[in-house]
Amino acid sequence: MGDLGLIINLNLLRATLRMSTPIALAAMGLVITEQAAITNIGIEGIMLIGAFVAVAVSYFTGSWVLGILSSVAAGVVVALFMAVIHLKFKADVFVAGIAINLFAIEFTRFLLRNIFNTAGSFYDPNIVPIPSITIPIIDKIPVLGTLLSGFKLTDYLGIILVFVTYFILYKTVWGLRIRFVGIHPLSAETGGVHVNIKKYQAMILSGIFGGLAGAHLSLGYTRQFIENMTNGRGFIGVAAMYFGGVTPINTWFASLFFGFTEALGNNLQTFGLPSQFMLMIPYIATVVAITIGMIRKQKREKNNLL
Amino acid sequence: MNDKLRDFLYERQSLLNVFIAVFTAMIVGTLVIYFMGYDILESYEALYQGAFKGRFNFGGTLERFVPLLLSGLAFAVASKASIFNIGVEGQLYFGAITAAFFGYIIKGVPSLVHIPVTLLLAAAAGGLWAVIPGFLRAKYNVNEVTTTIMLNYVAIFFVGYIVNHPFKNPNVGVPQTPNVQPTARLPKIMLPSRANIGIFIALALLVFFIWLLNKTTFGYKVRAVGFNPFFTDYVGVKSKLIMVLTMFLSGAIGGVLGGVEVLGIHGYVLDNFSPGYGFDGIMVGLLARNNLKALPFVAFFLAALRSGAINMERFTGVPKEVIGVIEAVIILLAAAEVIVEIKKRKSSDKGGVEVG
Repeated sequence: MGDLGLIINLNLLRATLRMSTPIALAAMGLVITEQAAITNIGIEGIMLIGAFVAVAVSYFTGSWVLGILSSVAAGVVVALFMAVIHLKFKADVFVAGIAINLFAIEFTRFLLRNIFNTAGSFYDPNIVPIPSITIPIIDKIPVLGTLLSGFKLTDYLGIILVFVTYFILYKTVWGLRIRFVGIHPLSAETGGVHVNIKKYQAMILSGIFGGLAGAHLSLGYTRQFIENMTNGRGFIGVAAMYFGGVTPINTWFASLFFGFTEALGNNLQTFGLPSQFMLMIPYIATVVAITIGMIRKQKREKNNLL
Repeated sequence: MNDKLRDFLYERQSLLNVFIAVFTAMIVGTLVIYFMGYDILESYEALYQGAFKGRFNFGGTLERFVPLLLSGLAFAVASKASIFNIGVEGQLYFGAITAAFFGYIIKGVPSLVHIPVTLLLAAAAGGLWAVIPGFLRAKYNVNEVTTTIMLNYVAIFFVGYIVNHPFKNPNVGVPQTPNVQPTARLPKIMLPSRANIGIFIALALLVFFIWLLNKTTFGYKVRAVGFNPFFTDYVGVKSKLIMVLTMFLSGAIGGVLGGVEVLGIHGYVLDNFSPGYGFDGIMVGLLARNNLKALPFVAFFLAALRSGAINMERFTGVPKEVIGVIEAVIILLAAAEVIVEIKKRKSSDKGGVEVG
């Protein structure tokens, strides 16, 4: 029982939130584009380039704010690039996303080598990280302090943005139009909505989210850039998006759940226990969730026909 | 433009676009090398020598050619039935661990038995793993891109567990399996490089699949399903079964790839051993427009680039990552299906729609 206490404790919950932030940020961008009928698996590459830009700018300017802003700008550029490939040059959305991901890995590897003359990873004390926030009174309360205070600024921002995403999608005209575009593009077009413009706008938003996720990964969650450091977090974001039924709040819960499995997996590893089965859970859960979703859809369609 | 030339270009336009993509990427690469202050001719000479000159260098190219060809083939075969198999990476992990297991556990048989049996089992493992997303797509219309990406992670973690725990070589500190028996190793063909008879296995598979897809009823059905599964159902082809079988075959090629890497190159499986062979196949397949006959040329071209890059870095200092940038540009252009579109002449007297 003592061991179990070491594995499952308050720090595990802290780690859960920390692990879930990059997933949730990416997943919010994904929810928005998916609502507009674009499955943006290029988010992985957008994050990776964002992570690199954040570290580079923070290192050269000594400002984490500029680091985040540049990362977001880079994310938007890459997202628009992918949008052009997909929407203008009619590349399959998955092909475009995969191309962006491969591009991001090679491009950041090249830049790492040429700007910092190093391979593998870049760490330097001059990289200014995103600050942690101590919440004044709550910090002093034993359990709540551990659970709520002392996280990185972007951890809190991530939670706020979940609700912002919800608001944008469900409480604004823009969000209504985006969902319209996703559900029935033809009638949206007939109704006077410029489908492609809406899709570009959705991609810009997902670039912002991807850039934020990347900056958080390299300046908040860690304080370095590592080759391919996103390591599938964008894909876990895709998983969370599907698992959460493409709605912001549920997707956030899915991100927390996936963060929990990652945190628990890491704890198990520290104790020499096999972590792999724990780490598999998000992926298996996603396959199961999508399949159940499709079975339900098929049943619905069958019933409608009868 | 005269009509004959136009017809010719129309038929070859995908090829033309590939050449333009490659050409543009090479120009980008050349500019990068130039602006970094290196001598272009000297760099390309080093690149060329690194890819072709001497047994070690040329062997290095052949060694890289095999996984590129096999993963490209796996991707292309699935795409004939309009399935995006992004899961070659996971399938090759299953093939690799299966090959490592049977290469180690089977003892006292000659190579002529040991190697084929081990590779067939590896193929079966990769194929069965691919059946999961194939079945989900066929039966429930679950998008296979998402499922194969997810299942890649499951496969890599699963093999990671096997390699770290039940099947770990106790004599070494790193997580890897014990060495396979000498009878399971693929003979080398170009010492001192690691090139081995895996290249003949890969080429034989390529020929087999060209035959299977173009000359057999099964191949016709696969392509028909790729065109329109509803239509094929209507004329009595079980399109769902065809999809699952195609995925099995695609995954089996991935399994062989894993097996060939283990038996030919390493002799064991290391945790996370693949540098993304499975994803390379997407690039090869895209660039070859899933034309099986074009696959070996694309794979060879990329293998030569990668092999030559190492030499280029050693002798001229141009970082080998430049090749990565060239590849990245190629894949972006290939994905975008950009550039040239030659309209077909407006005459219907040359026959209707070509199917197959």
